[in-house]
Amino acid sequence: MSKVKTLLIGSNTEPVATLGAELKANRHTIPSLAGIENDSWPWADALQQWRETVAGGEQADRIVVMIWPDHGHKTPCSDTDFLAWSRRAEAPLAQWFAALGCAQQLCSDGGSVVALVERPAPLDSTGRAPEVAVAEGVVALVRSLAKSEGARGARFNAVTTPLRLSPEKLVNPAPALASYPGQLLREVIGSVRMMLGDDSCGVTGSVVHADCGRSW
Amino acid sequence: MADKKVVMITGASGGLGKGLALACAEQGWSVWVAARRESEGNKVAAQIEHSGGAARFVHCDAGDPHSVDTAVATILAAESRLDGLVHNATSGLSPRPGRVSELSLNDFRDHVTVSLRGSYLLARAAFEPLQSSQGALVLLSSEAGFEGKARLPAYAAVKAAQRGFARSLAREWGNCGIRVNCLAPLASTEAMEDAFRRDPEMEQRVMARHPMQRLGDSVKDIGPAVCFLLSQNSRYITGHTLMVDGGSCPVT
Repeated sequence: MSKVKTLLIGSNTEPVATLGAELKANRHTIPSLAGIENDSWPWADALQQWRETVAGGEQADRIVVMIWPDHGHKTPCSDTDFLAWSRRAEAPLAQWFAALGCAQQLCSDGGSVVALVERPAPLDSTGRAPEVAVAEGVVALVRSLAKSEGARGARFNAVTTPLRLSPEKLVNPAPALASYPGQLLREVIGSVRMMLGDDSCGVTGSVVHADCGRSW
Repeated sequence: MADKKVVMITGASGGLGKGLALACAEQGWSVWVAARRESEGNKVAAQIEHSGGAARFVHCDAGDPHSVDTAVATILAAESRLDGLVHNATSGLSPRPGRVSELSLNDFRDHVTVSLRGSYLLARAAFEPLQSSQGALVLLSSEAGFEGKARLPAYAAVKAAQRGFARSLAREWGNCGIRVNCLAPLASTEAMEDAFRRDPEMEQRVMARHPMQRLGDSVKDIGPAVCFLLSQNSRYITGHTLMVDGGSCPVT
């Protein structure tokens, strides 16, 4: 079976396209999900079907998963209506689950998968409870996959960035690096490349916060 | 019941939640056993009343917005206060093993609905009464939420998501006087026994790394820790995840 060098599974948004082009990656685009009108996931079957189709494709040595939907404005939890909650928390988490399931099946033995996750730093997370929940859930999925796929030499790691979720006004103290929150094609892509490549061959189930020292 | 502090505990009709209800009642809380199973919930409430405590059942499906709002409103109508809320309910699929690619989106939805959506719905519904009482919200997480689980990835994901949700909410609610914490227990429960049955090697794996070589008792080991997080003894603790696992989890 022929293998592509790098595969990117992600949203149909501009940052994903930018990273994919820079990595010269083949792309699988996950379907956008409409909001939830009731307490079910009307898009679950379609997402399941997408997952099964994509998972049957060519394997790859290096895979980046990047579910970066368009986020809503930050809001206090008590003011977040159910539809907004669903759009900001449940739909992205379901997309991550589907995409990481594809990555699990598409990653060749000895390959490497990096989940590039948007995550507000703890200090700046007020009003971003849905996004923080998704980020932490993704990290646990990555660690679960690191455990289940380690026996065949496949590695799973996460890189986080607050790039699009950083508030205009930061809580003191200031971030360690003045370059905060960083740039996708500088600080963030470097961490992704490192975790994808052979230099991190002994690293799996780890999280790199590419956030200029805002998390610890 | 009016003079007692009032706590609502989801998933309290059995398992760990029942143990938490008994422990809270022992410590003098007026306990609302919130669950879908009315018959079992009423039995727990009756057991508490029989022991001299105060408890009532309220129907609550943690993943249903209307049900959560109604349950909180019912408690407020009866008690005029709510001092603590413990979200313990989890999906019935929690013990079912399988790798990520083996789990369907519909299975994952069930995990998300009960654990994560439930956290949001309960927090939203209880915000005002908890602010009035300067109360506390406690979410039951798991060591799986720290380290992931090869065979329980969906469970691990939602338990981690709850921790992230709690940490963010703690920052948001801090100046309102409401504390938000997680508790990650390792307890002997029906769900754990079910997981051991489904994955016979799991019990060996769990015990092999356990310093104390035993699972926690839901009333005697886990219950007091929940009571601590609900009480004024933890008045300066928020955004924290308290591991109550006998030292089992190597990640802190």
